[in-house]
Amino acid sequence: MEKEIIAVGDSAALEIIFSTRKYKSRVAKKPRIQTNEGPPDKYVQISADVVLRPDSTYPIVINPYKIDLSQFTEKVIKKAKFKITNVSDQELDISLKSLPRDLFEVSLPGSIKPGGTESGEIKLLNDALEKSFEKSITIQLTDADSSRFTIPIKRTVRDMTKKLGATEAPGK
Amino acid sequence: MKRTAILVAALLLVLVLATSSFGAPRLTIPDASFDFGYVPQNSSISHEFWLYSEGDDSLKILKVIPG
Repeated sequence: MEKEIIAVGDSAALEIIFSTRKYKSRVAKKPRIQTNEGPPDKYVQISADVVLRPDSTYPIVINPYKIDLSQFTEKVIKKAKFKITNVSDQELDISLKSLPRDLFEVSLPGSIKPGGTESGEIKLLNDALEKSFEKSITIQLTDADSSRFTIPIKRTVRDMTKKLGATEAPGK
Repeated sequence: MKRTAILVAALLLVLVLATSSFGAPRLTIPDASFDFGYVPQNSSISHEFWLYSEGDDSLKILKVIPG
């Protein structure tokens, strides 16, 4: 929660993090929000279809289905590409439904022909280069079910200054 | 005696009405549900919900209880 007191007429974002662990099939959660408004509590609801084999989903297959932007050396890792294959028999339009603010930009193919493969890209914003995080993006398709897919995006940044400090210490 | 009791009751009623219509915080969440769709196992995913303070007093978020 970015702020705990919201002024009259103002708004704030509440981030809900969900760990899919070993869940199978459909999962729904209802986190409750207690405020000074008093009872009953308000709530938000999240749902997901946790899949065992993300490499065999329908109507698209995303490869890789998880994106790791981790950086363990001084070489800056700033972007990652992924491929989306349309395994259905209809053309699919793709739109972005959820994206964390202030971390990265996403470029997606507008549509993919049946059997076709197109690329998407995640590009870190400069302000996010020093950050470690576990976030995700959610896309939606134009098939009959308006199917959604969420791609987890992880970044771990190793603190190079700490490492250097540790190696210098014995010499002093 | 009876008149005093009625007066006190009326006063209490006015007080209750006053506190309920003025200075009351109110939380609204226009998009309160989100479907992630297909998600791989052993992943951490997230979504931001927008909370709006639409009452007459500041809204305090006291606690978020996992579902």
